[in-house]
Amino acid sequence: MARDRTPSEDFTGPLKRLLLGVLVLCLLGVFLLWRIDSPRVERFRAQIVDHVVPNFEWAMAPVTGFVNIVRDFQSYERIHQQNQELRRELQQMKAWKEAALQLEQENARLLDLNNVRLDPRLTFVTGVVMADSGSPFRQSLILNVGARDGIVDGWAAMDGLGLVGRISGVGENTARVVLLTDSSSRIPVIVQPSGQTALVTGDNTAAPPIDFLEDAGQVRPGDRVITSGDGGVFPAGLLVGRVAEDPGGRMRLRLSADYERLEFLRVLRDHGTESIVSPGQLIAPAPRPQNAGSVSENGDG
Amino acid sequence: MVERDRIRLWSLRMAFFGVCVVVIFWKLLPLDALPRAWAGPDLIVALSFAWVLRRPEYAPPVLIAIILLLADFLFQRPPGLWAALVLLGSEALKSRAPLLRDMTFVPEWLTVTVVLVVITLSYRLIMAVLLLDQAPLGLHLLEMVMTLLAYPLVVFASAVVLGIRKIKAGDAESLGLRT
Repeated sequence: MARDRTPSEDFTGPLKRLLLGVLVLCLLGVFLLWRIDSPRVERFRAQIVDHVVPNFEWAMAPVTGFVNIVRDFQSYERIHQQNQELRRELQQMKAWKEAALQLEQENARLLDLNNVRLDPRLTFVTGVVMADSGSPFRQSLILNVGARDGIVDGWAAMDGLGLVGRISGVGENTARVVLLTDSSSRIPVIVQPSGQTALVTGDNTAAPPIDFLEDAGQVRPGDRVITSGDGGVFPAGLLVGRVAEDPGGRMRLRLSADYERLEFLRVLRDHGTESIVSPGQLIAPAPRPQNAGSVSENGDG
Repeated sequence: MVERDRIRLWSLRMAFFGVCVVVIFWKLLPLDALPRAWAGPDLIVALSFAWVLRRPEYAPPVLIAIILLLADFLFQRPPGLWAALVLLGSEALKSRAPLLRDMTFVPEWLTVTVVLVVITLSYRLIMAVLLLDQAPLGLHLLEMVMTLLAYPLVVFASAVVLGIRKIKAGDAESLGLRT
């Protein structure tokens, strides 16, 4: 046995090298294909994620839960201090709640007076977060809703309060949400109350910078930032966060969504904004038969 | 005898695959959505290098290629590039394995360091030449350093848990007799 091993290795050596060369060429070929025809390969990637990640789901939820329990347990050490803080915050919150209730009633009254109908098409699908990107360089999440639930690339994902990211990559049962903090994320926003338009550019930090402000002097820390809907990609008016200034004097965004606890996300159905395509036309009564016209005129007179 | 060795061979290959799948699984867990200022080690690369230097038959190139391509697809990296570079790196290590076999751990660690630095830099270089979006350099270097620091632990763990040790002169004979 020991003897006939050596010649067989001599024989398989070149074969192995050939196999290795073919393997490396295949891998580089996939990479080049991705570089040339990215959408097709990205669709393939979405399909792979769609097949692989749901297989992990049975284990992912319990393990994630367990790790979170351990983390929470560690925080018990500071429980007294936390309790005090929470009580104080609760006291403040009660005051805010009272204010919010009054405002809600007032708002409802005013809406009633104006007879406003809010956009009935702005509905959402809620999905559970299954996995994250798995890499420290990319910020994304995988949701358990996909093309089966009618999810389309480009729709906005929110938690209860603020914008979280946008759908990019949809499989049959899963969809990937690229977070606002990812370095490829660009969202057009408006800063209220000054009405300045800007772009929120993800840069892999927890507070993405606000770029391309027309007049930075009009923007103050604490201003509200909402989506502008420019470019027709996103619905307008979704809360994103508040402006904050970093020590370098650069305007950054403090996100409203609670990024530390993203469990359920709402994906907003967006049917696109209608645009005006034709210039104004002459408004004239529709041409009608002569007889009918004379009869109606008679009737009027 | 032959049958038992074949079972051991395939079970250890499966173990390699299984450990890599567990690593991928762990990284995919949605524990933190906030961007981190640090990066963990790339354990799959450390594991492949350690096994290739010790028992290359348990970590064949096809298996490494499949696992890394899967990781590329799942972790949103450009598919194929990192896999190809790691595969080339592991082959470079494999060709030096006979030299390193009789030395201590330090020269082996240095060789792994050189290979990892070369493939990391060429990865970034290729990405830069093709004008692709790159991760921050500091974060990437941190990941590389963490991988290098994790390498001895990976070697230790695979020796203790799965019995992956270097082939010594005496072992080679017994191995030859058994197969």
